[in-house]
Amino acid sequence: MFELFILILALIISLIIVIKAADVFVDSIVEIGLALGISEIILGVTASAVGTSLPEFGSAMIAILTGSPDVGVGCAIGANIWNIAGILGVSAIFAGLITTKMEEVRRDGSMAFLTTLTITVALLLMGEISFVVGIILIIMYVVYLWILIRAQKSSKDREIECCEVDEKNRDLNKKTILMAVLGLVGLAIGCRAIVYCTVELSVMASIPEVLAGILLAFGTTAPEFFTVLTSAKKGLNSLAIGTVFGSNIFNILIGLGIPSLLVTIPVEPITIYFDAPVMVFMTLLLLFLIKRGMKLTRVEGIILVASYIIYIVTRLTIFS
Amino acid sequence: MHEKIMVATMGEYMDEIMKYTLDIIQERKTEVIGIYVVETSTPFLTPKKVKEMMATELRDQGEEILESMRQEFQSSKHYMINFKKLLREGDPAEEIVKAAEEEGVDLIILGTGKDIIDKRLLGSVSEKVVHSAPCNIMLIKTI
Repeated sequence: MFELFILILALIISLIIVIKAADVFVDSIVEIGLALGISEIILGVTASAVGTSLPEFGSAMIAILTGSPDVGVGCAIGANIWNIAGILGVSAIFAGLITTKMEEVRRDGSMAFLTTLTITVALLLMGEISFVVGIILIIMYVVYLWILIRAQKSSKDREIECCEVDEKNRDLNKKTILMAVLGLVGLAIGCRAIVYCTVELSVMASIPEVLAGILLAFGTTAPEFFTVLTSAKKGLNSLAIGTVFGSNIFNILIGLGIPSLLVTIPVEPITIYFDAPVMVFMTLLLLFLIKRGMKLTRVEGIILVASYIIYIVTRLTIFS
Repeated sequence: MHEKIMVATMGEYMDEIMKYTLDIIQERKTEVIGIYVVETSTPFLTPKKVKEMMATELRDQGEEILESMRQEFQSSKHYMINFKKLLREGDPAEEIVKAAEEEGVDLIILGTGKDIIDKRLLGSVSEKVVHSAPCNIMLIKTI
């Protein structure tokens, strides 16, 4: 019992360390990028896409590379299902209404669907995530980033036409580099601790590692949860829906794409035939609900949360 | 009767709020202060870059809302109104009350804004303002 308590406590502390380390790392990398003359648009787009997803990416990467691939795959797919059905559902219930724009649904929603479909089809055909699949996933992410940067550039150009732009030259200082290194170290150590605690807890609770990974996603998606809930409550709807789509695209294309370049990722049949199709279904359900009026209402939020409850109960009882 | 009125809005139900404000003012010379508060509070684990993005978006949104208020209140048909914009950051209810004290307004106008479920889930700025306002308040029933 005492060991269980220590493991849960260590898991919570590691999650907080990872989330804060990711924050410091992204912040410092943006500063370094600016000092090196990289475009503010490219840095801004990348930082907002990567920022909230680093805990899932780090945990999945470390899990896969340290011999617990099921935790990594479970974490990535579990995070995607929870992002849509749990986080967006809960946020819609609290905020009452989350609106979106056709342009964003077309670009980010379609990409999120294409991403989930690609990984599911690849899993159904091959039963694992190989180097070739990894290359395809990463190419897809690069193309998506390029589309995002182009969209951001054209909106910036419109702003420049009417306003003066404040171009700031920033110096690269040692403190920023040190903070980037510290952030990266914190991220690596924290993710290793998360994976260790998750594996140990799954052994103690006698649940499969992939299910432990799915449950771990509750913790690694905390930045998404607070971002989406707060922005929905403040009426910043584009940020709320954009964060979910952006995170889901990143979790699969980079979260599974990068580790698969280093090692072939074996995937359990239950994930191939149940979790991945559920992820595709949840993405489709969200797109169907949103497309009806370019908004998510409280009732639709309840539908999403109910879908998640049905999924997780089924997963815990029938397929565990 | 009222010489200095503060109109608080988060951008919703602006037409109703402005309509009632103009009804009260009628042809009298009045100073109207439009206030928008950027709520900067975020939970502990919200990424720093996201916090910055939220604050920037809300500031831009506030500027737009105040500008559309200015255009309405300072149009030629409302020659008797002297309009002033106020964009503040912090807790909306606290900032509205503080600004009302600093500006010495004699009436605050704001919308009730939310239905009963929203009030339970999100809290109500108008309810908080009612309890600590230094002057009269007019609540416009928007729901």
